[in-house]
Amino acid sequence: MSSLAEMATIFLAPNDRDAVLGDLAETGASGWSALGSVLGLVVRQQMELWRAWQPWVAGSVAFAGSLLLLSVSFGLSMDSRHLLRGERGYGSVLCEALLMLSWAWTSGFVVGSLSGKTRWASGLLSAIPCLSCVLRFHDTSLSRLCVLLFLLPGLVGAVQGMRRTRLSHGTALTLAIAVTVLMLVWGGMLYMQNWFLFLPAWWLVAHAERSKLPDEKATA
Amino acid sequence: MLGEFEYVLITAAAGLGESAYGAAIREEIEKVAVRRCSIGALYTTIERLEKKGLLKTWMGAATAQRGGRAKRMVRVTPKGLHAAKEFYEAMMRVSRNASWAAGKRERAS
Repeated sequence: MSSLAEMATIFLAPNDRDAVLGDLAETGASGWSALGSVLGLVVRQQMELWRAWQPWVAGSVAFAGSLLLLSVSFGLSMDSRHLLRGERGYGSVLCEALLMLSWAWTSGFVVGSLSGKTRWASGLLSAIPCLSCVLRFHDTSLSRLCVLLFLLPGLVGAVQGMRRTRLSHGTALTLAIAVTVLMLVWGGMLYMQNWFLFLPAWWLVAHAERSKLPDEKATA
Repeated sequence: MLGEFEYVLITAAAGLGESAYGAAIREEIEKVAVRRCSIGALYTTIERLEKKGLLKTWMGAATAQRGGRAKRMVRVTPKGLHAAKEFYEAMMRVSRNASWAAGKRERAS
């Protein structure tokens, strides 16, 4: 069997990999024919995933969330600089940092939990605005990487979302209320332009409510 | 209702019984239905049918013939058998007045 076909099976789940390579060995398929069979399966599996709504929502959240969080990260970097110069209070910068962290984490969590199998597409949709922004960044007083402050909490959220898939109802509700209160009380109208970013937190609440475990329902 | 290829796959798997797995089902489809069956079409359909609860799959034993790789064994669930029977009966009803089906009936009688 061609080593190319074996290499192509890295895109398959471990069980599928074993079954497909075994089938190819049994039927004596080799070379381009084996590679074509494996790639055909990979393409079909991906197409099958995109028939559901989850990858589309995950991709939209990744793209729109990255666009908004780029400007939030830039604003936080500017305000941190003002804080160091004594032109800004600790409270507002801390609030801004907490909001950025929670927006990025909840957006990442939603993307990861909704569609972990299409993470490459969500990652690409998130990377496009990031790359475009970093390449066009002109402010010489700040590092161009300052716009990417949201990436680490976003990635942590995505990984946790893929592993855990849902939060308990209490945790999700606390998080959503905290994000909303931070936006309304400290951020005021300034942050209302980023209303899209509190949708992931409330989506997590709705999702936790819908998929409550039986013992959670009994105690409710 | 099942799709045409889903019906063909369930029928082939049911016919093979305990020895139904990827390569055997593919060979059966190509032999009986006289059509090419790609690995991609086979495994994505198996996954879809398993999600619908019409098939059950598990990893079987590895053999030397397969280069030490395990087989993905397939079993049709009672729900799958019911869906296949429904599809077959619907096709029979739909074909009742078709000229080709009438010819078959006459020959049979």
